[in-house]
Amino acid sequence: MSQANVDVHETLSPEQVRTISGELGEPEWLLETRLDALEALGELEMPKVIRTPGRDWTDLHGLAFEEFVDPLKGTQQKDRVTAAGAEVLDWETALTEHGDLIETEFGRTVDPERNYLTALSTALFSTGTVVYVPEGVRAEDVTIRTTTNSRSLFNYTLVVAEESASVTILERQDTGDSPGDRQYYSGIVEAIAGENARIQYGTLQQLDEDAYNFQTKVGRAGQYGQVNWIEGTIGSRLNKSTVETHLEGQGAESTIVGAFFGRGDQHFDVASRVWHEAEHTTADLVTRGVLDDQARSVYEGVQDVGSKAWDTNSYQRENTLMLSDESEADASPKLIINNHDTEASHSATVGQVDAEEMLYMTSRAIDPDTATDMLVEGFFVPVMEEIEVKEFREDLEAAITARLG
Amino acid sequence: MSSEDIQETNTEAQFEFKKEEHSAFEAEKGLDEETIRVISEDKDEPEWMLERRLRALKLWQELPMPDWGPDLSEVEVDEIVPYIRPDIDVRGGVEEWEDLPEEIQDTFDKLGIPEAEKEALSGVGAQYESEIVYQNMQERWEDKGVIFCDMDKAVQEHEEIVREHFMTSAVPPSDNKFAALHGAIWSGGSFVYIPENTTVEMPVQAYFRMNSEGMGQFEHTLIIAEEGSEVHYIEGCSAPKYSEFNLHSGGVEVFVGENAHVQYSTVQNWSRSTYNLNTKRALVEREGTMEWVSGSMGSKVTMLYPSSVLKGPGATDNHITIAMAGEGQDIDTGAKVYHNAPRTSSSIESKSISKDGGRTNYRGLVHIADGAENSSTAVECDALMFDNESTSDTMPYMEINESKVDVAHEATVGKIGDEDVFYLQSRGLDDDDAKQMIVAGFIEPITEELPIEYAVELNRLIELEMEGSLG
Repeated sequence: MSQANVDVHETLSPEQVRTISGELGEPEWLLETRLDALEALGELEMPKVIRTPGRDWTDLHGLAFEEFVDPLKGTQQKDRVTAAGAEVLDWETALTEHGDLIETEFGRTVDPERNYLTALSTALFSTGTVVYVPEGVRAEDVTIRTTTNSRSLFNYTLVVAEESASVTILERQDTGDSPGDRQYYSGIVEAIAGENARIQYGTLQQLDEDAYNFQTKVGRAGQYGQVNWIEGTIGSRLNKSTVETHLEGQGAESTIVGAFFGRGDQHFDVASRVWHEAEHTTADLVTRGVLDDQARSVYEGVQDVGSKAWDTNSYQRENTLMLSDESEADASPKLIINNHDTEASHSATVGQVDAEEMLYMTSRAIDPDTATDMLVEGFFVPVMEEIEVKEFREDLEAAITARLG
Repeated sequence: MSSEDIQETNTEAQFEFKKEEHSAFEAEKGLDEETIRVISEDKDEPEWMLERRLRALKLWQELPMPDWGPDLSEVEVDEIVPYIRPDIDVRGGVEEWEDLPEEIQDTFDKLGIPEAEKEALSGVGAQYESEIVYQNMQERWEDKGVIFCDMDKAVQEHEEIVREHFMTSAVPPSDNKFAALHGAIWSGGSFVYIPENTTVEMPVQAYFRMNSEGMGQFEHTLIIAEEGSEVHYIEGCSAPKYSEFNLHSGGVEVFVGENAHVQYSTVQNWSRSTYNLNTKRALVEREGTMEWVSGSMGSKVTMLYPSSVLKGPGATDNHITIAMAGEGQDIDTGAKVYHNAPRTSSSIESKSISKDGGRTNYRGLVHIADGAENSSTAVECDALMFDNESTSDTMPYMEINESKVDVAHEATVGKIGDEDVFYLQSRGLDDDDAKQMIVAGFIEPITEELPIEYAVELNRLIELEMEGSLG
């Protein structure tokens, strides 16, 4: 077990938390939730990382929080584009207008005390967005852009789609005026899809390559509901992110699509996890990643089928392409099956650019560098095909092309 | 093989009989330095072995219990009788079954060992409690310099080579807590030495039997296959079921020389009161091949991950694993392969069946080191589940530090196919027979790797496991 031997909490005080809470004009219950999270820090452990004999797949102790977590100086710029019918609100407004709803849902999908870093995020978040989609409303193309301008930023997003509502949210994260050589970005997303509701949540993470990024996104899908995630991981130096769906209602579905492209000494620890908790649920997990230079990836995929999840369909694919001899790829796709009425499979591959494909290209007079670029773009096609939103697909393609250039 | 062959023997009776406990020497329960000294003295061991035991004991006391995998909270080593020397005259094993005390002879007769020896084996070793009681090999292999003897005897008679290889580079006691335990109180097991360019055509077999309640068996197997040699070693194990738990913690070390070929096959049928926690590792030199074939049917809890370290260029590893877990069983098994040289390849094929609330887990690690260019690995896991009380998990770990590689992992989990059952039923088979046939087909990749006698045995065991459990 990784011990939380970071002592940032010793430099934090309930006063700081009260200040953040006061500035957002929060009700008492949220302040209490924050203070509880702050108090729990001493006992909580860092997020789990995979350990094999002699090896931790990700070292979270290099984070050196105390140097750059500054809870009162979270500055950022946020642009929100609201789609008709949906309410896309900052926390202050959301708490005024939907106080009861938020009190019911907050912290129910991501337990603040899940680990040290989620507790830290819950205690200190100073910005974020609440997306509320009322019953029957179909809202497309909500976009949120977060540009961090401070050494640390704690962001909290809550999405609630009521019965038969539908929403597509695109979140872009980048770094503006970098105030120091290292930054810490921490984000929590809770997404709740009611009966027959559908949430599609895409994130394109292009933070500065000196940033540490910690993100936990968890969705819950009710009867016939859907929570779909798209994760584009391009930026940051150390990325520890997880996207998860609990399929709680009969017939619920989830698709988790991931794409990453690491270079330099970037370290991406990404996870996709799904829990089948009811009958007739379906999940499809697809991740593709490319590694160049000394970049390193850690992938964990979990398909957990509970004993009540009759008639489950669950699929997982992960493929990593290594462009450099110095790169490293670790992968662990896991199946945990407690109901035999299940059709489940997973597969994972790691390899380099296919020699035959390369020969095919070069024999047609394409130089090897260009051929490699084209093959990398081609490698991502199965992931791109899973992305319905054109704007997001184009942005991700652009980010990949930029990386190749 | 026809179904009549299978039904002739009552397999249950074959394994479930108990014998009165007669022993010449029985160590006190529990584990301390004094116990180790007494065991070592009873075996008349050289000083260096006693020192290794004591060092391992210290590691056992220091190392933590595994913080992953099945629940081991019931394992109270202090409640285990670590060493029982059966009441026999000849140390190191007699060469004729007739020379054994009647009850021991009867045990192995019932297990069908002497019969198998006549028909299909180059040599047989049989361990009863903590000591090898029977050891024999055909003369023609002895003439070629092949050694197949009791491990305790090897410490005396082949001291130098044992001293060099015994728990030094393959399975050091520091590997894990139970390897340390093994290093402290190991007893019995086999030593196999195959000289250069020698092919032992028929398999050699060791059979391990625990008879006493609450005992621990800790046999050590050391196989050294020199350059260009070839051997197939088969290990079988069983114990009657007791209310108190038994502990089996074997250690297996295999040295596969250049261009050598070793197959290590295990059919494990410990009783459902046995904790089976083994450490098995092979070091494979240039162009050598190591094959691990494991069938895990018995035990209450099994933690077994046979591992191959592919040290030399062109070395190959093959794993074939079958696990079957019924009521109350937790079979956590898999494979570990370290690709430490160029052009190494591994293939892991795992089949598991869980039913009546049993749990199977494939847990595997494939590590490809930087510089192990043009290496490849393929892992395939298939799981079959019979009912909703059972659990089937798959937990592979891949660590790839080299880009010029080909790595693939695939796994599927499903229930027994209604369509397949229907197909067979429409041809006149009843439900049970149809399902049995589907299971036999499911595990065929492993049965075809074993000599026919063992394939029959394995099928018998599985048939027994399935009886009355199908609905």
